[in-house]
Amino acid sequence: MKKLGLLFSALMIVLLTLSACTAVPQTAAPAAGGESAGGQTTGSEAAAPAAEGGKLAAIKAAGKIVVGTSADYAPYESIDENGNFVGFDMDLIRAVGEKLGVEVEIVDMPFDSLIAAVQQGKIDAVIAAMQATAERDQQVDFTIPYRMTKDAFVAAGNSSLVIEKPEDAAGKRIGAQTGTVQEGWIQKNLVETGLTPADQVFSYERADQAALDVASGRIDLLLMDAEPSIALADETGLKILLITELTAEGGKSIAIPDGAADLKAELDRIIQELIDDGTVLKIQEANGLP
Amino acid sequence: MEFIQDLITTLNFILQGLWVTIGVTIVALTVGLLFGVVTAMLRVYGNAFFKRLAAVYSVIVRAVPVIVIIFILYFVIARFVNLSPFWAGSLALGFASGAYQTEIFRGAFQSVPPGQMVAARAIGMSRLQAIQSIIFPQAVRLALPGWGNEATLVLKDSTLVFVVGVPEILRRAQQVSARTLEPFVAYAAALLLYLALTLLTTQILQWLERRYRLQM
Repeated sequence: MKKLGLLFSALMIVLLTLSACTAVPQTAAPAAGGESAGGQTTGSEAAAPAAEGGKLAAIKAAGKIVVGTSADYAPYESIDENGNFVGFDMDLIRAVGEKLGVEVEIVDMPFDSLIAAVQQGKIDAVIAAMQATAERDQQVDFTIPYRMTKDAFVAAGNSSLVIEKPEDAAGKRIGAQTGTVQEGWIQKNLVETGLTPADQVFSYERADQAALDVASGRIDLLLMDAEPSIALADETGLKILLITELTAEGGKSIAIPDGAADLKAELDRIIQELIDDGTVLKIQEANGLP
Repeated sequence: MEFIQDLITTLNFILQGLWVTIGVTIVALTVGLLFGVVTAMLRVYGNAFFKRLAAVYSVIVRAVPVIVIIFILYFVIARFVNLSPFWAGSLALGFASGAYQTEIFRGAFQSVPPGQMVAARAIGMSRLQAIQSIIFPQAVRLALPGWGNEATLVLKDSTLVFVVGVPEILRRAQQVSARTLEPFVAYAAALLLYLALTLLTTQILQWLERRYRLQM
């Protein structure tokens, strides 16, 4: 039992040092807040000494751009057997990094955390097949689209439903991925118009989970991005009823911190260049996208 | 046979998240132990102010979902202190676990008969000496079973740190599931790993319980 007493003393010492350590950030916090109160839009990144030179200068100074993605969305972004990030978005952002002349560091996060992470300066940009919706645009800035999108209505292989226009989905049990444009479209055009009761709409963390529920008949329809839906339908025995631009809102863009004008200008220029010189087309074919 | 092969490939991939899960769990349990023991002592033996303070910590933290604490630490507090996702997630988990461990140790402290303190004081020990040499060693023995339970809970809560991008076992299983569209294999592999870790934790705790058992 003596040993326990000793252990306890050691514990107390560790704790005292720990509390001394934690006291520093506590007192430092308001001071830092006061300092940055003048220009708190972009300057919150602790590891960016060149904050005044803008986001682009900070990235160039660091020699790398940290890009967040949600690696569960083949063929845009996924992780292969060896742990490498692969897919259309990944190839594209590497091409962008090459043009920028910096290294690309990719970080995997849940889709829902990405906007918060770029706002707080944890990452420099987001590439996750993300569309520039008005709601998201209030939180972050978007580059020009690097790819226009279409959406697909997916149903079970033996489904007898006929969807000729998006509104035909009215009243059906429908699913979408949480926080996506597709979910927003369902809420705005089916639920708020009273076409579909709110309890018939199901929200999934990931598209592959929704596909399982479509296959098992728990929901009738899944509204998702058209391209990944082809592979998904193929592998899970689902069928695509309609591919449409009507539910999509523009294209997929890279998200960057709000107000990072210099970074936006540079990325816009690079993306246009990659589209014009055929790189985007090459990447698209390499990843089996239509 | 193909299932076994898939399972092995999947396990190999997910295994890279094993050390992350172990690391997060150990850091969280240690931090939680420090918070728990000290706060429990304050709650039982502190003056009115510290008693109140400790109670507020324990009640509020247990009322807030752990995932919210992780978010606050990583996205709000880590704006001022440079914390990596791993440390933000682990420390937040530890801070939350501390509240539960407070209650475990409070119960343990209160289960030591009050006469022990009176006797220790009577032979000239200070209150701190009495707690350190008489009460605490007995309380630890009483706290061990409950603490073991908390250890397995923290192990499973370690899955939550993925919200800030820490690739632990469950996230790696999700990545495999998203790639192969075979969730069963992916989650079976994760289940095996968590089962192994939980069994290991329980064994260690049982050994400790035997080690510090009262010899009759």
